[in-house]
Amino acid sequence: MPDLLRATQLTKSFGAVRALRGVSFDLRAGEVHALLGENGAGKSTLIKVITGAHAPDSGSLEVGGKTVNHFNPREAHRRGIACIYQQPALFPDLSVAENIALRLETPRAWRRVRSASRIARARELLTRIGADIEPRREVRYLSMPEQQLVEIACAIGSGARVVIMDEPTASLTQNEQHLLFAVVRDLRASGVGVIYISHRLEEIFALADRVTVLRDGESVGTNALDSMNESSLIAMMVGREVSHTFPTAEGAPGDVALSLHELGCSASGVHGVSLDVRAGEIVGLAGLVGAGRTELARVLFGLTPADRGEILLNGERVVVADPRTAIAHGVAYVPEDRRRHGVILEMPIAQNMSMAIHGLIFPGGWLRVAAELRLADEFIASLDIKAAGPGAPGASLSGGNQQKVSVARWLATKPRVLILDEPTQGVDVGAKSEIHRIIRQLAQDGLAVLMISSDLPEVLGMSDRIAVMRGGTITTLLDGKPDAHTVMAAALGKEAA
Amino acid sequence: MKRHFRELSVAAALALLLLALAIFAPNFYSLQPLLSRLTAQMPALVAAIGMTLVIISRQIDISVGSQFGMCAVIAGLLAAAGLPLPVVLLASIGAGAVMGAVNGALVAWLGLPSIVVTLATMVTWQEALRLWQQGRLLNLPPGVQWFGLSQSAGQMALIGFAVALVALGAWVMKNVNAGRFIHAVGSDAEAARLAGINPHRVTFGVFALMGALVGLAAVMNAVQSPQVQPTCGDGLELKVIAAAVVGGVAVSGGRGNLWGVFPGLLLLANVNPALTHFHVQAYWEKAIQGLVILLAVVADGIRSRRAVR
Amino acid sequence: MKKLWLRHEMILLVVLVLEILLFNAIGRRFLTADNVANIVRQSVEIGLLALVMTPVILTGGIDLSVGSLLGLCAVTFGMLWGELHWPPWVAATGAVGVGAMGGCVNAALITRLRLPPLIVTLGTFSLFRGLAEALTSGTKAYTNFPASFLALGNSFFLGVPVQAWVFVVVAVAVWLLVHRTTAGRAFRAIGFAPEGARFAGLPVERRIAQAYVLAGAVAGLAAVIFVSRVTEARANAGIGYELAAITAVVLGGTSIFGGVGSVHGTLLGVAAVAVLGNGLSRILSITAFSRELSGILTGALLIVALAAGTLLRRAPGAKGRGRSG
Repeated sequence: MPDLLRATQLTKSFGAVRALRGVSFDLRAGEVHALLGENGAGKSTLIKVITGAHAPDSGSLEVGGKTVNHFNPREAHRRGIACIYQQPALFPDLSVAENIALRLETPRAWRRVRSASRIARARELLTRIGADIEPRREVRYLSMPEQQLVEIACAIGSGARVVIMDEPTASLTQNEQHLLFAVVRDLRASGVGVIYISHRLEEIFALADRVTVLRDGESVGTNALDSMNESSLIAMMVGREVSHTFPTAEGAPGDVALSLHELGCSASGVHGVSLDVRAGEIVGLAGLVGAGRTELARVLFGLTPADRGEILLNGERVVVADPRTAIAHGVAYVPEDRRRHGVILEMPIAQNMSMAIHGLIFPGGWLRVAAELRLADEFIASLDIKAAGPGAPGASLSGGNQQKVSVARWLATKPRVLILDEPTQGVDVGAKSEIHRIIRQLAQDGLAVLMISSDLPEVLGMSDRIAVMRGGTITTLLDGKPDAHTVMAAALGKEAA
Repeated sequence: MKRHFRELSVAAALALLLLALAIFAPNFYSLQPLLSRLTAQMPALVAAIGMTLVIISRQIDISVGSQFGMCAVIAGLLAAAGLPLPVVLLASIGAGAVMGAVNGALVAWLGLPSIVVTLATMVTWQEALRLWQQGRLLNLPPGVQWFGLSQSAGQMALIGFAVALVALGAWVMKNVNAGRFIHAVGSDAEAARLAGINPHRVTFGVFALMGALVGLAAVMNAVQSPQVQPTCGDGLELKVIAAAVVGGVAVSGGRGNLWGVFPGLLLLANVNPALTHFHVQAYWEKAIQGLVILLAVVADGIRSRRAVR
Repeated sequence: MKKLWLRHEMILLVVLVLEILLFNAIGRRFLTADNVANIVRQSVEIGLLALVMTPVILTGGIDLSVGSLLGLCAVTFGMLWGELHWPPWVAATGAVGVGAMGGCVNAALITRLRLPPLIVTLGTFSLFRGLAEALTSGTKAYTNFPASFLALGNSFFLGVPVQAWVFVVVAVAVWLLVHRTTAGRAFRAIGFAPEGARFAGLPVERRIAQAYVLAGAVAGLAAVIFVSRVTEARANAGIGYELAAITAVVLGGTSIFGGVGSVHGTLLGVAAVAVLGNGLSRILSITAFSRELSGILTGALLIVALAAGTLLRRAPGAKGRGRSG
């Protein structure tokens, strides 16, 4: 019996970034195949190739024994591939029954809507997965997990042979999780192949038959789960010691620059965060996606202001109500999403660099182009930014150089505390070690650096101390140089083996 | 209850207004003037059907007033030339559909913002009409008014027809796939595309239909008087948008219901007669329309903010 | 990017010069002092609105209410002078104040309640015009202004129509604001990426509000000039001016989606529309219908400019999609 799906040596690059470097993967009928890996390991790219959102650069994909030549979402849908995303793509203003119907029926404009049969089918599908959702309700009144169940009902209704679930339990309660597991087991029993992405090891052990671990765009290996335990799985994810060396700290850190006491923000789910960051020190903030790291950074930068606890800067209690007050207090934030938040792509890099210090270099609000160009030239030289000149638009730069522009904007504010959110995500290897060198130099110059990263070697190599977040708060603080296993175990909520 | 809150509250406001008129200005209810006033709103009601669909698909059309004037003049000229009424009606609907299709093509396939496109076509048609007719009134042949029926029979026919059209529209929106596509595109155009719906075609179709309905409405207006005024469509767009928005159509698209245009339009239409009956100047109509639009969007804004949390 | 819009303005300049040469060649008495003054007088109010519409559109917004606000300010001015017997220049200040207040209404609804500018200003479009009509009972007009005031709209100073001097001052001020201050920089950043601007610590809400308040205040100023030129204050002042202003701005190379654009482009856009309208009406010798003709032209030009802008933008290929890994 052929595999439901077989990917052979897939590669895919985005500019200089090689997201997939020859990944092979197979899915059998009636199995749950877990896909595991850190952020940026290539999971989502692999999924996007399978669902037809991206065409691979090389390699082949077979579905049901037939090679796929045209990569587009409808084609994938026709071949029986369904994907349930964390953020369901439903019509919020239509009812559950209609959402399911629009997914499953061929769209013919002048066909009579058979509401009764639509509702009946929706009810039947929802009952099959044990979801207690009224088909006539509009989707916007449903909770996120309920919307996910509707997506699953769509997948089942379309007779999908391959069902991909991307962190389906991220927002589910315990009860809903058990319900979902039962659904997944039913799917498996009916011969469907399920690709299951999750960071929760207990789920993977409870549910999956095999696991494939991806790292740096490559497949580390595929194993049957009954031959593994948590420790060996973590070892697979962490991998060998990293080859490239990180710049080392010299001298002892100075006074506490940033101090958080029981900080919380109910709107973003951050709670009870206490942490000290010293001048000259790099504190790595590790954790899984959704652990609340970016949310914490946004609280510190005033994008979602704190409503509990306190922030002390150089021992002085401050209220950070919006980004402007954060900047005034010497807090700088290099955001994760460089293209949407970090750099305004259409604007020249000089203008991007001066954007956070308008009040400083443009006294009275009058632009001084000469001063701006001088600033840009300085940073282009000191950060070694490859660009046609200070007038080049941000979009014309590579990812790594855009990131340097984003860093330059915040260095220009002469901050005391620098928060970096995934500073080397989507950056090629050469630029990566350069950015690492810059970060270390900044700490050396007396900045307190808080570095969020999902890249485990980076966290381990760069940080003087590591704080691990889970569920919106810091659960573990690791001094010295912990090993990868310990950090990963803490992020996963396990005792270190 | 929750989903029809807007419609019900507007209906309640309308009931209150009508009750106040019953107590303080009972002669508001004398039959013939009441019937005339109601009939006078029927063209706007028909246009409001189209506007509801346009707004549900997350667009807007402010050229309907100019389209209305253009169609009215075309219909008037053809009727004056002695063509039979069905031909006149078809010509007017066709002219409207063409003007709507121009908007639709520019919005759907060139991806231009509908507000600017329809603002431009609004002025183009309006000034073209002025240049062409120079404000002349057109006299209609005798058989045209009230379709040659008696006045009250004609009024009844118009009201019956308009109400039937709303009912038909509401039925189609609910029971034919095309209607659901409009909701789908307004709700999330990208998701609609993934579901195999062509959002461009839906948008184009909605604008063309809007134009056709305006053509129909123009004839329904023309038959109510012995003359056609080229300026008869002035301000129609705001009245119709206000009726739709007040009737519960969300300006953010996707949501809304044709039945809401009844209380919406009647509430707006009765503001002016009510003002006169309470001896307030009648010139406040436009200001009140603007205020009502703003109130409706503010209410929507506050509601959706609360829903997002 | 910069080169692209520079080129747009160069093209527009060439078109404008060609227009002038053409009309001068075939039209009668086109480039006479009289006719030039005529063109200037007729385009100052729309030009003022176009100037302040530029920052609004740069932020990615739109203001449909400026024409109506002009009407409301004209009526206010008439009432302050005619009923409260304020001296014209004090009444003018009052009109500008009312304009600024109207702009505040727009700004508050857009920035505080986060409502779309389009529907907010459509509502105030109706509200302001309606207030103007209500205040004057629809038809009342204020006339018989003193000659010293009418000079603003009908006399010359140093050989140039008086209102042109006002226009030049406002144009220079808006140019400096957009091209030489941090506020102008912020308008663009917001137009390109409102979230990105917020992450850079720019005062996004405040800048957007300033653009709408400025638009309102200048609509008040335009109202005073309008009243002086036509010698009466009536509720129908400035009907359709919002469209003419938007057309000039878009024609001048400002993207309706925000971010890209310039004040000098807008000035060229204003001039191109004004010259075209005037020239055509002279050639066709249908001066009686010049208003209708320029209306049709404005609408058609706006669509052509928008379509051309969109098609040109599409040509170099769509923006790269965000990546993930």
